[in-house]
Amino acid sequence: MKKMLTLMIALAMTVTLAACGSGEREASGDAPAASDASSDDASDASANGTSEDASDAASSADGSSADSDLEYVKSKGTLVVGITDFEPMDYKEESGEWIGFDADMAKAFAKSIGVEAEFVEIDWDNKILELDGKTIDCVWNGMTLTDEVKSSMSCSNAYCNNAQIVIVPADKADQYQDTDSLSGLTFAVEAGSAGEEQVSALNLEYTSVKAQADALMEVAAGTSDAAVIDSLMAAAMVGEGTSYDSLAYTIGLNSEEYGVGFRKGSDLTQALNDFFAASYADGSMQQTAETYKVQAALIEQ
Amino acid sequence: MEQILDQLPVVLKSLNIGFLQTLKLFMVTLIGAFPLGLVIAFGAMSRFKPVSIITKLIVWIVRGTPLMIQLLIIYYFPGLVLRNPIWGGGEGGRFLAASVSFILNYACYFSEIYRGGIQGVPVGQREAGLVLGMTKTQIFFRVTLLQMIKRIVPPMSNEIITLVKDTSLARIIALQEIIWAGQAFMKGSQGISGAIWPLFFTAVYYLIFNGILTVLLGQLEKKLDYFK
Amino acid sequence: MPILEVEHIRKYFGHTEVLKDISFSLEKGQVVSIIGSSGSGKTTLLRCLNFLERPDQGIIRVNGEILFDANDPSTQQESEIRRKRLHFGLVFQSFHLFPQYTALGNVMLAKELLAREQPGYDAGKKSIHAKIEGQARELLRQMGLSDRMGNYPHQLSGGQCQRVAIARALALQPDILCFDEPTSALDPELTGEVLKVIKELAEQKTTMVIVTHEMAFARDVADQVIFMDEGHILEQGSPQDVFEHPREERTKQFLSRFKQG
Repeated sequence: MKKMLTLMIALAMTVTLAACGSGEREASGDAPAASDASSDDASDASANGTSEDASDAASSADGSSADSDLEYVKSKGTLVVGITDFEPMDYKEESGEWIGFDADMAKAFAKSIGVEAEFVEIDWDNKILELDGKTIDCVWNGMTLTDEVKSSMSCSNAYCNNAQIVIVPADKADQYQDTDSLSGLTFAVEAGSAGEEQVSALNLEYTSVKAQADALMEVAAGTSDAAVIDSLMAAAMVGEGTSYDSLAYTIGLNSEEYGVGFRKGSDLTQALNDFFAASYADGSMQQTAETYKVQAALIEQ
Repeated sequence: MEQILDQLPVVLKSLNIGFLQTLKLFMVTLIGAFPLGLVIAFGAMSRFKPVSIITKLIVWIVRGTPLMIQLLIIYYFPGLVLRNPIWGGGEGGRFLAASVSFILNYACYFSEIYRGGIQGVPVGQREAGLVLGMTKTQIFFRVTLLQMIKRIVPPMSNEIITLVKDTSLARIIALQEIIWAGQAFMKGSQGISGAIWPLFFTAVYYLIFNGILTVLLGQLEKKLDYFK
Repeated sequence: MPILEVEHIRKYFGHTEVLKDISFSLEKGQVVSIIGSSGSGKTTLLRCLNFLERPDQGIIRVNGEILFDANDPSTQQESEIRRKRLHFGLVFQSFHLFPQYTALGNVMLAKELLAREQPGYDAGKKSIHAKIEGQARELLRQMGLSDRMGNYPHQLSGGQCQRVAIARALALQPDILCFDEPTSALDPELTGEVLKVIKELAEQKTTMVIVTHEMAFARDVADQVIFMDEGHILEQGSPQDVFEHPREERTKQFLSRFKQG
């Protein structure tokens, strides 16, 4: 009988997941709502998912209740950080240790709240599932603060500037130096990325691929004319002396910012904002940024 | 070419780690699904109707839906809906969830093979044993079991080879098996990016491993060839 | 005293009555042939004797001991049935040899398993094994299979398989050996070798119940013939009586088909 019940639930779940496919925004809105009903997170109900959530921070300051995400993480003793392999933000050192600007900051933040940081490589498509399912505690991986991200996670203050920039074969780069010249090209962009938002806003023809690196590969292989990726990534991967020396970046389509994502209504967001402010004030954040050569993009806290 | 040779040690190290994960999932699935499949087979053949109906329903659902969806449900459902992330986010938890999904899925496929094997042994074999004064246990172990195994080996071999390749589905819940490891170099990892050859390289691992399995299973089949 | 007494056996499959009040008896060393068209209940009767089916009514006695009484549950205990079965041997229409054992292995298997349950088996393992193997070889020799002992069933002809099956049944020295259409699954040219073996057994005074469609053989080998029709014993008597002077119209009809053919 028990099995039967589990199966029914599983079936219902299948339907839910199918709905997810049609729009992450909907699904991520639904799941926390369900949790509210189960009274696990009473304060969630009032949370609007943005960073300035004073009531949450207050309740965590009391150190009062089990509904505090901060307390939850402290009780586990680990902050599980969801990442992908993304130089220079999160990447693996020879020894297998995760390093990078984000990784180092995450370690320092975890230490400041008295827990260990545990890095888990996730499938970027599933980041909201992972967060809401509590299999990770935050997404900290050079994540662009898009509308979609902001509506489905509780996001920290922005800490890094980024831009979505256009990549084309190097020998054609001078033909595409303004937005008007881009029409007629077919683009490759990462599914669900800020780059996808930009090209679709400009009504350009595009194919969604699984990762930004795949988009680069499409251009290198000639299967797409151009790609749109993060400028931080482009700086590391495109141009002379990199693995894609036949490609070049041309214009930026927008400017945008990186932030860290927590579960909706989480009091960890406020804790991180406080931590960012303190590390910027004492200069340790700038120092870490210099180690990974992203200091130019750093945003004042 | 030279560049590839330079990168080879780094790539191979990653691929080896990924392949170990693939192998582990493969072994654990077999160890769990062999006995569970037998239990499900007996459940489906049970004369007690509710048991056989429920078992058959489970088998139908598991065999009728993609393993990928089962992985997603089993891994994310507890945390998302029940608010109780039983698996945890670490590598161990992902492996455990993947194992449970694979064992359940493969046990259902195995159960049908077992059922075919058990029901394929003629009733006359059992009756011949009975009239010779053998007990049911003696008949099972001395007469029917080996005939069952002989019938099961060819279809089981197919499933086992398929399992080797199916393990790659576990990457949907970010289990870092060999394809994940190979693909990392496409996205960029350890200073190597935009390289598709490591992914092709993973195919070689599969080919070699499946080659070994095919030979071993072929030998087993040959060993049972002395009777018909 | 007859070695086998069957009294008022009835057997239903669902609502169909397949055996209707069957009674007969058999003296030690005698052979009874059961003839009749397909579906007349002959095979079911044999299966009842071997406890593969349980009669709904009636009594089966061997050497005066009640082996089965439909009204007495104490005669139907699972644990006892195994021992009681050993009074009978059964040779199937389609042999049912164990394919993973050689001819010799098939003949020895059951006997060895029984020997294992005897006290003192471990001590005399070797000599017991040797004795069983000796007996099995002798039986196969009697069946004319001296050069086939090491062969697996799939390497043997149908006639050879059936002779191995007979040896397998004889190895347990049953009081009564039953045959269920032993030649029906064989090519016509192979029936002779099997019938010859059964005839030799009759000459050695083996008590046998033989269900068969071979009329000439039934007449030749039997001391008593039973004609069954639609679950009844319609006629019963010496081969001469039943074959030469059948009293019933159905019997005449049945036999005339074979005479023409």
